[in-house]
Amino acid sequence: MTIALETRSLTKQFGGLTAVDSVDLVIQENSIFSVIGPNGAGKTTFYNCITGFYEPEAGEILFYGKSLVGLTPDQVAYRGISRTYQNIRLFANMSAIENILIGEHSRLRANWAGAILRTPGVMKEEGAAVEKARQLLNFVGLVGLGDQLGRNLPYGAQRRLEIARALGSQPRLLLLDEPTAGMNPHETTEMMHFIRRLRDELGITILLIEHDMRVVMGISEQIAVLDYGAKIAEGTPAEIQGNPRVIEAYLGSGAASGLNNTTSQPA
Amino acid sequence: MKKQLRHALNAGITFGIITVFLFLIGFTSIAADLLGDLLRNKNGGLFLGLTPQMLNMLIFLGLVGLGAGAYGSRKIKGQAGDPWGPALIGGLTAGLVHALFVGSLALLVGTLNLRGVQISKYLAEVLPASIRLFLLGKDPLPGAVIHLILLTLAGLAGGLLSRGIGRGSWRARSAANRKNTWNRFTQRSFFKQVRGNRATRFVVYGILLLLVFLVPLGAGQYWNYTIGTVGIYILLGLGLNIVVGLAGLLDLGYVAFFAIGAYTMALLTAPTPHHLLWNFWIVLPIGVIIAAITGLLLGAPVLRMRGDYLAIVTLGFGEIIRILSKSDALTPFNNGPKGVPSIGGPTLFGRLFNTGPAFVYLIFLAVLLVIFVTNRLQNSRVGRAWEAMREDETVSRAMGINTLSQKLLAFAIGAAFAGLGGALFASRNQFTGPEDFNLMVSINVVAVVIVGGMGSIPGVIAGALVLKGLPEVLRQLQDYRVLVFAALLVVMMLWRPAGIIPSARRKMEVEKDAGVVETPEEGRGK
Repeated sequence: MTIALETRSLTKQFGGLTAVDSVDLVIQENSIFSVIGPNGAGKTTFYNCITGFYEPEAGEILFYGKSLVGLTPDQVAYRGISRTYQNIRLFANMSAIENILIGEHSRLRANWAGAILRTPGVMKEEGAAVEKARQLLNFVGLVGLGDQLGRNLPYGAQRRLEIARALGSQPRLLLLDEPTAGMNPHETTEMMHFIRRLRDELGITILLIEHDMRVVMGISEQIAVLDYGAKIAEGTPAEIQGNPRVIEAYLGSGAASGLNNTTSQPA
Repeated sequence: MKKQLRHALNAGITFGIITVFLFLIGFTSIAADLLGDLLRNKNGGLFLGLTPQMLNMLIFLGLVGLGAGAYGSRKIKGQAGDPWGPALIGGLTAGLVHALFVGSLALLVGTLNLRGVQISKYLAEVLPASIRLFLLGKDPLPGAVIHLILLTLAGLAGGLLSRGIGRGSWRARSAANRKNTWNRFTQRSFFKQVRGNRATRFVVYGILLLLVFLVPLGAGQYWNYTIGTVGIYILLGLGLNIVVGLAGLLDLGYVAFFAIGAYTMALLTAPTPHHLLWNFWIVLPIGVIIAAITGLLLGAPVLRMRGDYLAIVTLGFGEIIRILSKSDALTPFNNGPKGVPSIGGPTLFGRLFNTGPAFVYLIFLAVLLVIFVTNRLQNSRVGRAWEAMREDETVSRAMGINTLSQKLLAFAIGAAFAGLGGALFASRNQFTGPEDFNLMVSINVVAVVIVGGMGSIPGVIAGALVLKGLPEVLRQLQDYRVLVFAALLVVMMLWRPAGIIPSARRKMEVEKDAGVVETPEEGRGK
């Protein structure tokens, strides 16, 4: 199998604080990989390193064998990595279709001169882009809401639109940051099915940050646990559930010793 | 009831303070003169012993009084079966309080004036003549009583009027009627055809344009100058609209690019200081290009900043350009503070024109060109990227937008439009100097964009008309322009926070005339 993303002793420091502490991860292509950990464990910082918003102090990030360190966020997006946000960040005053079209930005070529002259090439590209945006709208189940402003959409629709926008750039790797935050159990189940569809139908590798253990244990093939920036465990859901260090990180050392021999779910 | 009375009381106090303020700054006399122009009764005879000017002032005060009553009774909801009582009380209370303020004022200034106190020493606009006008030529006490009675009645009338208009069922019914008629009208096949058909739409636009193009022929030199100024402000507004309205970069030094365009035109076509005397048509694009390049040069270092910081830095750049243009060091190059006279004008078929309708047409053509370019850019990949940056810069970077180059592009195109405006401005005035490029120009253009509606082309046009055209129409307000300007901005922000004509989003999901209306339900359950 091909390795989609690999980090080698990735380290990010803010002053004296080490937010990500020499993390090694290997994410196989076409897998669903979760990163979990208590609040402040460095998960989002890890995302920001991958997507080019932070430059790591040390370590290497390889995407299909090529280094991402030193690239700007837009270059990372161009390479095929797309993301969503923990607190939904849509372009609130743009319509749903336009949001998706922004996602497609890195796949389009029209420049200012072409836009003014409306050359046949530009018109064709724009037509295809809008058509693709409609298809994505359909794919995430938002048909009919395309002309609504981002801020007027209901919460669940906003989450879906954010994913559709991320899909616009035809990513090979999709980073989801707590996609089920604020959802009820029914919506959470739907989102789980939806994430699986992304992988199965579109062949996208999924990297997931999630707090809901039902989601994490339900759809992940591989899980890494961060605590204070360092990776403390990695394995399949079953392995993680039984790992005493994970239980310690979530529930404290006393709980860990008491639960040492059980396989009860952490958190 | 108590709460409603307090509301009426507050309304009365607010309007009372407003009226007192308007009198103290001399606005009541001005308003009377304006009404005189409007009603064309300036030279009429006496009516009930009052001159037309006094009558007009009373009408003005009466209108304010109506407003007080209407506002004071606004929040009062009538009980079933007694719709008029509360409105009566609200209007009466607000009217009375308002009247008390004005009456006391009349009594006070009248008495002071009688005792020989020169109030105009302290408040320049409160002249004996305007006090006499305010008291309707009577003694303080009768004058105050007249105000008291009239304004109380006006408040009462205002309350009843707003009640009459605001009656829930009547309003709802008429709104429904209007909607029905409108729907029936728009459903008609003819109307649909007009809206759907490209060709007919162009014909409608063409007729509108033709009407606009006929205006300069009928207007005199003064009005053509005003129309030209409005046109140049539309150019500036559309340029800044790209920077502020679309890309969300608050640029307070926009005048710098206007100055670059104007000086390019001046230095290359004027006999002094360089005697180059180039042709207008060659210099015009050069001015645009130099302004755009300046935009890139100024933008490159400062565009890494966001929000307020960018605003302050650009403000500084605008001032630097102006101060440089009048510095001693540059005087041999650009005549310094004296400015550049005798700037060349455009020639066509061997004829020179830089005044009259012909030049207005040139400005119109420039406006049309800029509208065309803005419209195309706005509805393209580039325009979308700008708007995304305005909405959320961080996310737009994550979506693959190279924000620095897109910002530079927005800055350069905005600067190019300003350069075009500046070149036309210098050529039209045949003179330009440092004082044409003070900070107020930048602030005015920002105001045009915000008042008109950020990101909206018709909005910018409306904004330029209102902010640059209206003051000329209300010429008598000249001294009060800033007051009206401020009041307009406050009212705007309260009633239309998104601008006069806010930007509309294009419908993209279902193409027009596709005939298929998809509903949200179809997309569910997947």
